[in-house]
Amino acid sequence: MAEATVMERMPASSKPVVASASAAAASGSRIGFEDVSVTYGSLTVLHSFTLTVNPGEIVALIGPSGSGKTTALRAVAGFVKPSSGRILIGDRDVTYLAPYDRKIGMVVQNYALFPHMRVDENVAFGLRAHGAAEDVIRKRVPECLAMVGMAAYGKRYPRELSGGQQQRVAIARALAPRPQVLLLDEPLSALDAQIRRSMLDELAKLHRDLPNLTVLYVTHDQTEALTLANHIGIMRDGRLQAFGGAQSLFRHPPNRFAAEFLGRANLLPASDLQPGEGDRAHVRFGGTVLSARNHHRLPKGSDCLVCVRPHDFRFTRTATEPNSIGGTVVSVQWQGDVHNITFEAGGQTVRMTSTPMASPPAIGEAIAVHFDPDEVTLVPEDARHG
Amino acid sequence: MAEAAIAGPAPRTAPQSLWVVPPLLVLAVLFLYPLALIARASLGEEAPSFAAFEQVLKSGQFIDGLYHTVVIAISATAGCLVLGFILALVIAFVPFPGARLASRLIDTVIALPTFLVTLAFTFIYGSAGIINETLMHVLGLELPPINFLYSQWGVILAEVTVYTPFVMRPLLATFSLIDQAQIEVASSLGARPARIVRRIILPAALPALVAGGSLCLLLTVNEFGIVLFIGAKDVITLPLLIYSKAIQEFDYTTACVIAVVNVVLSLGLYTLYRIVVAHFGGKSAGVV
Amino acid sequence: MLVWSKSGRIATWAVAVPLFLLIYGLPIGVIVLASVSGQWNDILPTKLTLAHYSDAFRADSFDALKGSLVTGVVASGAALVCGTWAALALRKMKPVPRRILDLFFFIPSAVPSVSIGLGLLVAFSQPPLLLNGTKMIVLIAHFVLISAFTYGNVTAGLSRLPIDCEQVAESLGARPFYRLRRVTLPLLAPYLIAAFSLSFALSMGELGATVMVYPPGWVTLPVRIFSLSDRGAIFDAATMATILGAATLLVLIGLSRISTKAMVR
Ligand SMILES: Nc1ncnc2c1ncn2[C@@H]1O[C@H](COP(=O)(O)OP(=O)(O)O)[C@@H](O)[C@H]1O
Ligand SMILES: [Mg+2]
Repeated sequence: MAEATVMERMPASSKPVVASASAAAASGSRIGFEDVSVTYGSLTVLHSFTLTVNPGEIVALIGPSGSGKTTALRAVAGFVKPSSGRILIGDRDVTYLAPYDRKIGMVVQNYALFPHMRVDENVAFGLRAHGAAEDVIRKRVPECLAMVGMAAYGKRYPRELSGGQQQRVAIARALAPRPQVLLLDEPLSALDAQIRRSMLDELAKLHRDLPNLTVLYVTHDQTEALTLANHIGIMRDGRLQAFGGAQSLFRHPPNRFAAEFLGRANLLPASDLQPGEGDRAHVRFGGTVLSARNHHRLPKGSDCLVCVRPHDFRFTRTATEPNSIGGTVVSVQWQGDVHNITFEAGGQTVRMTSTPMASPPAIGEAIAVHFDPDEVTLVPEDARHG
Repeated sequence: MAEAAIAGPAPRTAPQSLWVVPPLLVLAVLFLYPLALIARASLGEEAPSFAAFEQVLKSGQFIDGLYHTVVIAISATAGCLVLGFILALVIAFVPFPGARLASRLIDTVIALPTFLVTLAFTFIYGSAGIINETLMHVLGLELPPINFLYSQWGVILAEVTVYTPFVMRPLLATFSLIDQAQIEVASSLGARPARIVRRIILPAALPALVAGGSLCLLLTVNEFGIVLFIGAKDVITLPLLIYSKAIQEFDYTTACVIAVVNVVLSLGLYTLYRIVVAHFGGKSAGVV
Repeated sequence: MLVWSKSGRIATWAVAVPLFLLIYGLPIGVIVLASVSGQWNDILPTKLTLAHYSDAFRADSFDALKGSLVTGVVASGAALVCGTWAALALRKMKPVPRRILDLFFFIPSAVPSVSIGLGLLVAFSQPPLLLNGTKMIVLIAHFVLISAFTYGNVTAGLSRLPIDCEQVAESLGARPFYRLRRVTLPLLAPYLIAAFSLSFALSMGELGATVMVYPPGWVTLPVRIFSLSDRGAIFDAATMATILGAATLLVLIGLSRISTKAMVR
């Protein structure tokens, strides 16, 4: 990153940039939402949204369709004007800056390559728009195409490429002007499953090669989020429902929605929480007492949910271990590398997955399962968010 | 977005909408200003009065012209609807070799000037045209037996020929959206073609028929070339009356009065057309 | 398929195809035939000749051909610029003023051409703008008559444009004019060509307004055809009509080739 970026050559439209830009090139820029609300007519689609993507980090925004992910991303790009709040890129307040002054890279779901330009002209577009010199363009375009493994395709038209190839070109095009931040809106959702997986690996590699690039990644696919992101934000109805490190959010979801949206979870309703040693707590589920981590420091005596991931259950036929739940098998499914077992316990339908069993239980059989209290978290029952 | 109560420049929308001013200005000078002057001229040369208006509206020439305009427009539109529906039905649902060619031909006819047909009709139905010559030869007649060309019927026939494609185009677009399977199921259940047309195709085609029909009405009311070329003395429509008053008699005040009536009539029909298209949705009516 | 039995289908065709040919094939055929007829006193021409064609490329007729082509190209070009400009400007506006202005740009297509001609005659025969008797007034008449069609075509094209492409261009740093020149207009090209073709065809066939305003030195093909047929030179009129039709179609076909190419890219 020694050479001056194209953007630094530009007559900067906002003064403070020049000073911070070189620092940004070395360490990346953050993306900040401060209390951002967006309304369409009378419909508010983003409510007081606050979130920071730290320099060089990938943050994934996930959530069901219509939850406002794209709106949040397009607010950073400048295509949606917030009705209140501020948006920051680096140290700049870009809330009222035109999209072309924001120095961002953007990749959208349907690639949106320019159909009338060859691949290399697509990639050169941002450089030319910034008035880069011809020799810079001649050097930078092949470099960017090589970065996404498309070096051989410069002279093709977009329509002559497959979906995956088009997406690579779209990424190269976004990266060519060396943006401080990259915005990706469901970049893989138009690809079929196999290509999606390999593109996911390549995106991860790309970020290892460009460690200073700050990425906001919008997706509805939890695998993509868990694979790529340092932090994950979970959205619903225009609000941020949960935000945290990918691992910790998965292991200690702060609420029911987060637990159910990120991975599969059994949420067993429990009562009468009693603190134990360390961050352990004991709760009552049906007739038994279960132990789990009280990561969210729920108060003594409260009702809560025990969040057990299906693979956290260990299977025993009789309830000899501590932390055991007894139940009756409802269904047994063999899926090659796993067994999926559904059983009823304490009036709840519970799912577990286990490694293949030589002699799986029969339907109607009484079984017992137990779990390691350190793997399982207590989650507050959401009453506040509807 | 208006309630943004925070520091920072307001979104730049005001100068953006100013871009529309140049084309607006062009149209205002070249279109609105002349129209306004027509309206002004129709009110007499000095102090505005409706004297000229009254006089013209009561004149036999004007009433005759209005009558012919309306009768020709309505008959021609009805003819276009019937012929257009039948031809479109055949092209879409009884495909024959060359159906594609036929629809290309229709697009071509739309692009060609209307009076060409009249010219052709002179050679076909005219007093020395193919048909009359043939009949005179075969029947040994002295005088041409067919004389309808230089009457209202000649104009109507020519307009039907020229404007039928304007009905067919939206119809073909609509027909291409009708599920062929629906028709196949219906006919496999024993429905006869007439019944399928009545129960399935006609309801689906209604928006296109109404849109195409109101467009035809607008175009036939304003048709000038065909009437001029046929040149029948007793078939004078409003546009032709305007032409003869202004260019042959230099009576601009009368011409302007008639033009005002004609413009109001067509704007009314155009409003009807827009309402119809908006009501049925531009897409389903297949109108561009 | 509506008619299943083979005999039914054949019967339908047997009625429809001749009907179609009678309505659309015969007129075109007759005009072409007349354009090469030396004498037509019988059922069919008794003598064929190319003399009308050699006349057509001489003197008044050739001037009319030139006049029509120039008028068509200039008026369509101007209408294209104006219509594209208006369509692009309207895109940025709020829904309500936009709907009103949209209607306004469409209205010229609803006003009878003779009235437009009369209006121009009245308006430009008096100060401040004296254009009566100039070529300019013919160009203006054609421009006004076709502007709505151009505007409509371009607007339809804009509404089909992939909006993502333009936004991505902006995110890459393209300022409005750069984006317009490098992305929007190239993507719009097929629609611009289609708009130009339609305007050109309409202009080539325009009679109502032209006949009201044309100056002695600037005759268009339709006016020439009318004056020929009016004074009984119907074979010459047919020849000019054939040339008019052929010229229009040639331009249309040529432009649609280019537009298909632009579309594929
Ligand atoms: N241009 C718009 N006008 C009105 N409503 C919109 C517009 N764009 C998005 N919305 C609404 O905003 C909400 C959030 O949309 P979006 O951000 O696209 O969701 P996501 O990307 O999470 O699926 C949806 O309810 C959607 O209908
Ligand atoms: Mg989205």
